[in-house]
Formats: sequence, structure tokens, C-alpha cells
Amino acid sequence: MFGKKFFFGLIFFMIAVLFVSSPCLAKDKIVIGQPFSLSGPLASGAASSSGPFYKLWVKQVNADGGIYVEEYGKKLPVELIRYDDKSDVGTMTKLLEKLILEDEVDFIFPPWSTAMLYAAAPICNKHGYILIGGAGGAVKLKDLDLPYFFQVLNDAETQMPELAEIFADIGVKSAAVVYRGDLHGIEYSEFSIPEFKEKGIEVKMQQSYSPGIKDMSSLMKKAKSKNVDAFVVHDYPGATMLGTSQAMELGINFKALHFNVGPCFTFYPNTFGSEVVEGVIGCGAWNGKSTPGAQDLIDRFNKNMDQKMPDYWGGLFYYSSLQHFRQAIEEAGTLDQEKIRDVMASKTYKTDLGDFWYNEDRIFTNHPGQIGQWQNGVFEVIDTGEKRTAEPIYPKPKWPGKKKK
Amino acid sequence: MIETILNVVVDGLLIGGIYALIAVGLSLQYGVAKVLNIAHGEFIMLGGFITWTSYKVFGINPLLSVAICGPLIFVLGFVLHLALFKRIRMTSETEGAFEGNSMLACFGLMFIIQNVAILIWGAGIKGYSYLGFPVSFGGGAVFPANRLTTLAVAVIICIVFYLFLSRSHMGKGIRAAAQDPDTAQLVGVDINRVLALCFGFGALMAGLAGTLVSMCYKVEPTMGLEYTIIAIIVVVLGGMGSILGSFLGGILLGLIGSLVSHIEPGLTLASFYLIFMILLLVKPTGIFGK
Repeated sequence: MFGKKFFFGLIFFMIAVLFVSSPCLAKDKIVIGQPFSLSGPLASGAASSSGPFYKLWVKQVNADGGIYVEEYGKKLPVELIRYDDKSDVGTMTKLLEKLILEDEVDFIFPPWSTAMLYAAAPICNKHGYILIGGAGGAVKLKDLDLPYFFQVLNDAETQMPELAEIFADIGVKSAAVVYRGDLHGIEYSEFSIPEFKEKGIEVKMQQSYSPGIKDMSSLMKKAKSKNVDAFVVHDYPGATMLGTSQAMELGINFKALHFNVGPCFTFYPNTFGSEVVEGVIGCGAWNGKSTPGAQDLIDRFNKNMDQKMPDYWGGLFYYSSLQHFRQAIEEAGTLDQEKIRDVMASKTYKTDLGDFWYNEDRIFTNHPGQIGQWQNGVFEVIDTGEKRTAEPIYPKPKWPGKKKK
Repeated sequence: MIETILNVVVDGLLIGGIYALIAVGLSLQYGVAKVLNIAHGEFIMLGGFITWTSYKVFGINPLLSVAICGPLIFVLGFVLHLALFKRIRMTSETEGAFEGNSMLACFGLMFIIQNVAILIWGAGIKGYSYLGFPVSFGGGAVFPANRLTTLAVAVIICIVFYLFLSRSHMGKGIRAAAQDPDTAQLVGVDINRVLALCFGFGALMAGLAGTLVSMCYKVEPTMGLEYTIIAIIVVVLGGMGSILGSFLGGILLGLIGSLVSHIEPGLTLASFYLIFMILLLVKPTGIFGK
């Protein structure tokens, strides 16, 4: 009654139905794409801060068997594809579109730096891809108001009022504020100077300089001649390294010494020695005492990666944002971006950082700390209030004597 | 007032010494070997990393590591010229074509060296503190010991190199090749060897500059380009191919940078480019160029 052709047709039909109706057979992993600065001027910063945390998260997720996605009825391992954007925004945007349109990755992880995030967020939003902000903290990012963009890192808006609060608390009476003449430096100076003045701290000197500064001695000597209590530098790690070494080499010791980006990284004490950086203040901030999960993250990182915990500003932020992301996927039970976005925007999850949620503007605000200070080899949180992990040291100890390796 | 002037002048000399050393190498490579080495800064970076490794891993004094850095990077430069630029020179129809082709090759070289450095040392920032204490000259003038040392070493290296070029037989060959390569070849100068030596010596100077740079600044695999740009500005300032011009140009640029930085730090970089543009318009051969 039924010929061979009917049976073959039936089998073909059943297989086809099986593939169409059961995506679990077709989907065996979650692919995440990330345009990242593996070479070029940003590569150093990328490798020293957020870079390893994405890798650790992938490693840990896969060690758990993957992320459970109800739609597929199983755990899916994660694969991270990284393309080198060569520290170039134009290259990054092309790679991002390639990842989305050609590679058709399931999710996107962020590129490195504020400018990159600023360029990537509208593209992801246009294609309906979630973008969890990583290393990048300009206040202007918040003005983008893109429904698929989630801002993770803290910035000048929350850090500078806290720095002013700390300075007022410890008795800083006057300050010199120097900053690189770009978005980062200008933004931080615009937030810090009014805050200092409001707290009664006299700003005796404010001065911008060219990015890539090679000699900070004249600025320091000028600040010293004005007898300021605090020397505040709004710049990136290069200037932090230069400023620290030149202050030490010139024997100029301010009662408070603050650099924005740099002190939070462990290469900073590793380069100068922990006794040299004792009392230096920087943006951040967290450490093993911040939350119960924070020490656990440090231990996991040190055990699983080929380097020690490198970043006490963003490290806990980045990793916790990914823990939140994973739980959002599991709750949504799908890889559909819109559904996951809705869950992310509304749900609070436990992470290494503690409770993690985004506010109505999709900005993470439960920061573990704003300002840190090196004390006995630990980047202590010195914020006023409950996030503080140690009392601030003031005045900063004198630079140690000759010869430090 | 006197203290301010002293600060500006000495700060300028301290950074100018490093600029001079950086530029002397490039001047030799471009002035004689006709290779506008865009990867010059990468040799500085290599010098910095070799010194960092010698000091942090093996405990070798950074000043002594010039004895390791110099020969290593000289050999690298010498071999590179023989293997790459010599061939490009042979296959280029004109000198202009060679300059263009070799510059493109240098772009590639820049990325190769940079990425090899990332593979070896990682992409992160490295640094160490050496002679990191103040030296007082009285009257409130205080300068870092390591920068004073780098200035002294830079001046010594430049003088030794100048004497080598002006007094030694090999130096005369190099100068002959710089003035007229065809005639030099006719009178028995092995031009390919001399050009390779020039490139090697240029790399050596960059490597030594890297040693001194690492004593004062951070080192990272991507640091090279900023030094290449400074070197190009200094070479234009001093005059292409003029070793003395590059040395004095470096010192001059350091002094100008220090003065501008004292008046308005935000204009330091702009002042460098302004000088560069003015020279190209008014005296493209540079202050000491012919």
C-alpha cells in the first residue's frame, strides 16, 4: 500500500520537523563576540583591566557545564570569539558589525575604553544586541539612553563627590588639580573642582596639559610652591606612573596624592613596591573585604588565570555584571535579546559584588566603593560610610629612601 | 626667578638628552641608509623591555644592561637590513621608490615587533624604580638622580658615537656613503655592508635610548610610536643625516618643551608640531642641514 518513496518521504519529513521544532538539536553552544584591543595603544590597559575577567567568566561557566537555557532544554557552553580592533574605533565598529551580521554571534561583549563603548553602543542598539558596558566610565555615556545598553562602571559623577567628602573628612584644606586635556580629564576636573570648593577646599591651582605628558615636574614644583595639601591628577596610568616616579625622585611629598586611573591596578605597587605607594589614593575601588564574594573572586581569579588579580577598580564590577547576565539568561529561558534585556533591566541577582541590579536608566549604582588608598599592600576603600574598609591615612607617609626595586 | 630659569633649563636638558639619543639613531638610518624607519620606536621599546627583564629578573644594573641591549639590537638591525632593506633597495628603480617601499616595510615591521613583544612580555605596563631619589643643587633646585644619570649617559654615548663617525675608518666609510653612495662604491666602499651597519647602529642607538627611557618612564609594547614621532620632529629640526644636528635638535626640543610646559602645559605637544610645520615651510633641511 505504501511504497518506498512514501517511507523515505515520511522519514525526511520527521527529521525536518524534529530540527525545526527542537532547536536543542541545532544549538550546541552560545557564541559571544567581542571586538577588543589586543594590539595598539589601548592593549596595555585592556590586558591589565577588564580583558581577563571575560575569559575567567567563560572558563567558570563552562566548568559548570554551561548556561541552562530552557528553550533548548539543556546547558549550553559558551565560546568567546575575540577580534583585534588594533585600538582603532573605526576598526572596532567594522568588526562589531561583522560579528553581528556575518558571524551572527548570540551575544556581544564590550570593547575596551570609553570612546569604544560610545561608538559600540548605538550599533548594538540598532541591531537589537545587548551591550553590557565594561571598561568605560564617561558620564556622557549615560546620555546615550539606548534601551540595549547597560552602564556598569562608576565615573566622575559618583567618584569626585566622594573624593571631596573624604578630603573634607580628613582635613585637606587646599588642592592642586591637574588634568589631561581630553574628555576624561576635563570631565573629572569639572566634577572635582566645584565639589572641592563646596566642601571648603581651596583649589589653588588648576591646570590642563597635553595627553602623553613626558614631564610632570614643573606642575609638581608649582603646586609645591603654592603649598597645597593635595595634588590631584585626572589622567590614565601613564601619567600615574610618571607622576609617582617624579614626585618620589624630586622628593616632593603632598599630604594627599590622588591619581584617577592607575593606582587601582596591581602593576602599580608591583612596579614601585608597596612601601612606595603607601598612602597613594586612586579611583576604584574594592578589595577582598568589600563583600564576601569579593575575596572569593580574587581566589578564583588567582587560581584559574595565569596572572594575579590585576584590577581593583573594575574587576568586581565586570565579573558581577556577567554573573547578573548569566542569571538573566537562565530566567528568560531563551537567547532572545529583547526578553533577556527586559529581565536584566528589572531583576536583582546575587553576585560576587552582592546585590546587582540596574536602575530605571539601566545604570548600575550599587558600587562597592569610589575611592581607594594603598595601605600595607591592600587597595583599601576609604569612602565615608559603610563601604569603607579602612580609615584613610593622612597625611601620606614620606617617600621611602634610596633604591627600590 | 633664577630658580625658575634653572628649573626650566635643567628640566629641558634632562628630557632633551633622551630626545637627542632617540633622534641620532633615526638620523643615521634615514640620512645615510635612506630608510625612514617608522619602527624606530619599536627598537626603543625592545631596549626598554630588555633592560626591564635584565633588572627585574636577573638583577642586572640598568646601566650595565647597555652592554646587553646594544649588541643584541645592533645585530637585529644589521640582519634586518641585509635580509629586508637591501633587497628592497636592489629591486627599487629609484631612490625615491626605495624610500617609499622601505617606509611601507617599516610599517609592517612596527606591527610585527609590537606583537612579538606582546607575546613575550604581555600587553601590560612594566616599570621599575632606579636611582629614584632627589639631588639638590642648593637654592631650592632639585632634580631626579635617574634623569641626571640618563642625561650624562646620553651625552657620553652621543660623543663616543660622533668620535667614531669622525675618526674611525668605518665611520669615514659611513660618511662617504652618506655624501655620495655611488662614488663611495667606486672607491671600494662595500656599500651594502655600510648601509647595513648604519641601520644596525641606528637600531643600537634606539636600543640604548630604550634603556635610558626605561629608567625614567614606564615601558609597554605599544610605546614606540610616540618616540618615533618625537625622533622625526628632532631629525627635521636638526637636519636630515646630521648627527650633530640631531643631538642639538633633541636638546633644543627638550628646552622648548620645558619652557612651554612651564608657561602652559596644555600646549607642549602643539608646540612640537608647530615647530615641525614651521621648519618644513621655512627651512626643510633643518637648522643644521645642508
